[in-house]
Amino acid sequence: LVMLFPPLPRLRSILQRCWGQLEHGLLLGFSRGPSPPWGPALAVQAPALLPESVNVTTENNEVPSLFDSILWMAAPKKRRTIEVNRCRRRNPNKLIKVKRNIDVCPECGNLKQKHVLCGYCYAKVKAETRLIRIEIGKKEGGPFNAPTVETVVLYDGEKPTEKEEGKRIIERARKRPSWFAQD
Amino acid sequence: MRLSVAAAISHGRVFRHLGLGPRSRLDLLRNLVTALVRHERIEVPWARADEMRGYAERLIDYAKLGDTNERAMRMANFWLTEKDLIHKLFKVLAVRFQPHPGSYTRMLHIPNRDDIDRAKMAVIELKGNPFPPLIVPRRDTEKTLLNQLLKGYREDAQRAAVP
Repeated sequence: LVMLFPPLPRLRSILQRCWGQLEHGLLLGFSRGPSPPWGPALAVQAPALLPESVNVTTENNEVPSLFDSILWMAAPKKRRTIEVNRCRRRNPNKLIKVKRNIDVCPECGNLKQKHVLCGYCYAKVKAETRLIRIEIGKKEGGPFNAPTVETVVLYDGEKPTEKEEGKRIIERARKRPSWFAQD
Repeated sequence: MRLSVAAAISHGRVFRHLGLGPRSRLDLLRNLVTALVRHERIEVPWARADEMRGYAERLIDYAKLGDTNERAMRMANFWLTEKDLIHKLFKVLAVRFQPHPGSYTRMLHIPNRDDIDRAKMAVIELKGNPFPPLIVPRRDTEKTLLNQLLKGYREDAQRAAVP
């Protein structure tokens, strides 16, 4: 109910009488059955115990159902045309970028990225390091036996020079590969 | 008016968030440093190698101070979890890197890992390790065009200078 400031005393008296009638009606409604809840009543001159008002109050206590909330969800207004779709899908930021930093490895001829090591050459070196590490493991015996001297790897038929005086020597039973020069 | 909290902006932050937390990050880096000192060449994710590199080089700087230095010994004790590597650090690595002023490690980019994550990998190694080199510095052969042209120019200059 919106309470307007009545400009004339006659209107004021009329409103007071109406309000009194409403209250009287409400009191009658209360006295009739179990006390209904004092929900936000509709601004209608009618007895309080309307069948609708009970439903309205119970619905206000419940969570608003999906049927109501559908009205507030986002949905596309129009079908996106194929032209607009094409513009979005083929925009350069969605396409896969072309790599221009691929080169040929000068050693083996495989492809490699410019700032990355060649995969084939690295695999070659990794295999050889693994075999050297197996030899080191055999020499050390158990775990936690790190030596306190430097290590040198010698291949078939190589003798330690005077530069490799106090170093631990690891023997590898194969010919020295061309990419592993003796320092 | 600030529209976002300073804690949510990471401009200029140099330390990465590795592992489960700060302590976990330090443990991770410590394991990597131990592995590097033991094996002298390891293949690790690039971000971890980058973080670990600084710590490894500073550890070697501490080791250069000498065996008797109390701070150096405490640092080595914390950073190397396998205690036989402390001997290796002070007796082998400190001696090896005595003439060098800095940069004791070499970090190179590897093709992405073959696993489903395709992680960016790096190989980090101490310089002067006994293993075969990863990069072979190649001199251009005599047969390249530029070298043949230079050879011809040199011979022309000699022929002109002789008479």
